Amino acid sequence: MTLYEKIKQLYPSLTDKDFMTVITLQNDSDGKGDYIKSWEHPTLPRPTDEELA
Amino acid sequence: MASIITATTTSGLTQSADNSGVLQLASGTGNLVTVPSVTGTAMVSGNMPAFSAYMSASQSISSATWTKAQLNTEVFDTNSNFDPTTNYRFTPTVEGYYQINAGIYCSNLTDYDAQGSVAIYKNGSIYHRATLNFGGEGSKFNDFLTAVSGVIYLNGSSDYIELYGRITAVGTPQIVGGTTSDSFMNGCLIRRA
Repeated sequence: MTLYEKIKQLYPSLTDKDFMTVITLQNDSDGKGDYIKSWEHPTLPRPTDEELA
Repeated sequence: MASIITATTTSGLTQSADNSGVLQLASGTGNLVTVPSVTGTAMVSGNMPAFSAYMSASQSISSATWTKAQLNTEVFDTNSNFDPTTNYRFTPTVEGYYQINAGIYCSNLTDYDAQGSVAIYKNGSIYHRATLNFGGEGSKFNDFLTAVSGVIYLNGSSDYIELYGRITAVGTPQIVGGTTSDSFMNGCLIRRA
């Protein structure tokens, strides 16, 4: 399951627009995988590492 | 004031000199070119950095995730400023304003709703981007290319640019590579700072 899918599962109310505007996921093609570059959602808290494990 | 070399219509080349340290070239009609006073070599066509790179193979990415395109194949790199092996980035060693063009070929889209974006990153952050959205019955596309361009100032030492793509779609979308007509980035110096 990708990081995007884990976050969507955790917060089903998130929309694709949210991921374009207030949440930025990134992968620098350096072998370290996907990560949350920025989380600026006005109401939902940034998921913890435990929640995304 | 300036020292001026003029190509006349009656006497061939003439020259006038002073101690200003400024050199100008002129034609018989009075057009002037002032040779700039710079540290190092004044830029002329031939030593202005230019590069073009693309991906040799397609790259699977996670949906809705900005992913750096692995531009591992150079078409040309006149000043050896592009890194096609580790960071896939252009770090010019000449300061100035660069025309940059980039495209992300989005593919393997399996749903009616899909979004594809391309971004030129400067120093790790989005600088220019473009997005195409497709949604609803009858709008299904298996692939499309989204492109962006811009003029970007780069300081000639630490500034760098990279190409990122982002696709939101069901399944495992791909950034297509293989030829220069797939995902690419190119650019050149258009003006010294």
